Amino acid sequence: MSDARESDARAIELRKVSRWFNGGTVKAVDDVSFMVHPGECFGLIGPNGAGKTTSFSMMCGYLRPTHGQVRVMGEDPGRPGALKRRLGALPQDAVLPFGAKVGWLLTYWARLSGLPQPEREARESLEKMDLAQAWGMEPQELSHGMGKRVAMAQAMMGAPPVLLLDEPTSGLDPKIAAHVRGVIRDAKGRQTVVVSSHNLQELEELCDRVAILDRGKLQQVGTVSELTSRSAEFRVQIARGTVPLEAVKALKGCAGASLPQPAMLVVQYDAKVSPDEEMITATLQLLIGHGVFVLGVTRGRRLEDRVLELGEAPVVAAAVVSAS
Amino acid sequence: MEQLNEVAIIWGAEVRRAVRSARVITLLALYLMFTALVLMGLAYAFHQVQQQIDDQIALRGATQEAVQPQLEQLKQSFLGGLFSDDTALLESLAKVPLIVLLTFKVTLFFLPMYIAVMGFDQISGEIGPRSIRYLSVRARRSSILWGKYLSQATLLGGLVLVVDLAVIAVARWLTPSFQPLAMATTLLKCWLAATVFSLAYVALSSFCSSLFRSAAVSLIFNLFALFGFWLVNAIGEGASRVVERAAKLAEEDPSLEAPSKVYTVLGWLQYASPSHYSTNLLHPHFLKFLGTTGVYAAFAAAFLVMGYAVLRRRDL
Repeated sequence: MSDARESDARAIELRKVSRWFNGGTVKAVDDVSFMVHPGECFGLIGPNGAGKTTSFSMMCGYLRPTHGQVRVMGEDPGRPGALKRRLGALPQDAVLPFGAKVGWLLTYWARLSGLPQPEREARESLEKMDLAQAWGMEPQELSHGMGKRVAMAQAMMGAPPVLLLDEPTSGLDPKIAAHVRGVIRDAKGRQTVVVSSHNLQELEELCDRVAILDRGKLQQVGTVSELTSRSAEFRVQIARGTVPLEAVKALKGCAGASLPQPAMLVVQYDAKVSPDEEMITATLQLLIGHGVFVLGVTRGRRLEDRVLELGEAPVVAAAVVSAS
Repeated sequence: MEQLNEVAIIWGAEVRRAVRSARVITLLALYLMFTALVLMGLAYAFHQVQQQIDDQIALRGATQEAVQPQLEQLKQSFLGGLFSDDTALLESLAKVPLIVLLTFKVTLFFLPMYIAVMGFDQISGEIGPRSIRYLSVRARRSSILWGKYLSQATLLGGLVLVVDLAVIAVARWLTPSFQPLAMATTLLKCWLAATVFSLAYVALSSFCSSLFRSAAVSLIFNLFALFGFWLVNAIGEGASRVVERAAKLAEEDPSLEAPSKVYTVLGWLQYASPSHYSTNLLHPHFLKFLGTTGVYAAFAAAFLVMGYAVLRRRDL
């Protein structure tokens, strides 16, 4: 594949990127590589200090990498004017400037982005965030949630091909967070979206692929189902009764079963030997036959569990990236 | 072309925001009040001096016309001390009421400090709270710097015009012989001179503001830089005077020892300060004015290039 075609297939690419602070004593991002395909929704996950915001900031051109290469739409984000009209960014902790009304600010930014109908674009974007009433308000009059949505509206203006959203729902109440997730879901497919979040359930719901970062290193990157081993594991929540663990292990295709908690049965299996539906049905039949009452079944590990395992997992950055 | 458009949009937006900002309005009002105070003080002093002169003339039984040449000579030597001994400049300044020149000189001394107070957070005030991130994905960093610089320069140009208008009006009230044509010419000259002078100091504040994340630190650094410029100018002028005086004395008495070379070197320091060149901003010869404007433009360009170099490399 030629270079041009390769870059067409990569909306964003980080190649061996490191960002150090304090003369190299703090390695916020260390030798991280991954790529984001056009039109996909990509998640950045990790605990505090994992390097998510630093990676995000390098993609937006706010920070320069100490080593390595960042490319967004084939461009170096640090090059002046490189991503004008091509990138919408929701920075995590940027304060909305005071001294102007929200509508005026959005129109100003839309004009600066070179959008043909700045005021209309600003109004539509604010309406899309269900915040038309904020048009005449000053930023200091906005609640945290409203400010977040105004910031989100500025990122969405003009429907840029790449959207980078750092913690888009943090601090929002559940109803508004759901609305914001709906907006992101709408953008999927038409725009390349990168979402950084602590809310793993949200990322599971929104993202096609995710990268797990920890202490500046890339731990894993892949589809959500790959990371959660959805096709090879399920959990059964037990209401009451004694689980016949040995009988479960003896089921065809079962690779292992355990009770990490008294009310939680975890079953690993080989999906090639026993397809998902057969394995789950056989296990439930067995449990019910032994007088066990079941409350629910969850396929795969939750992403949260995968992230919680980080402390024990070895760093597999290079291997996983080559696979992606 | 696209970059020019970015600069124009940022410039327009920043001016609009500034004229609606309570802080900027307060600062403008404070500067006008300060100038009014200077003006009132000087007007009072002039009134007293004029009264004493009139009393002396009456006491000695002389006429105003008879002592006029002496008064003119006194004014010339005062202006020589205040501005320079350039004959063409002094002749030109002699036609302008003294109160205008004194107020001009005083306001020019304080203008850099005012510029620092007004513009210290133009960049750092956006970097600290990271609101610059909303701009930097839409506009080049150089456009942000230029747009903000031009908006500050525009505000200063407006402020200086208001101040100069007030000064000219007071001068007209105190000096009935100050004719409309002379008033208009003086207003234009003083406004152009102060605006050109401001260009370098606004650029200095842009540079200082680009250096730091904290607006307060930018202000402190800016004030230190102003003090540094004032110091090198004072040292340089002092050393130059020593060298000039020694040269004059040596002409009278060749046996006198020449001053140390250190004085000559220290004398060069004055050229490093933008304020050193302010005198020629009122020069009647257009080329001299143009040359001085060039010097201020060079200072402004140097500060802006340094500001851009910092902003270009810094994390936002």
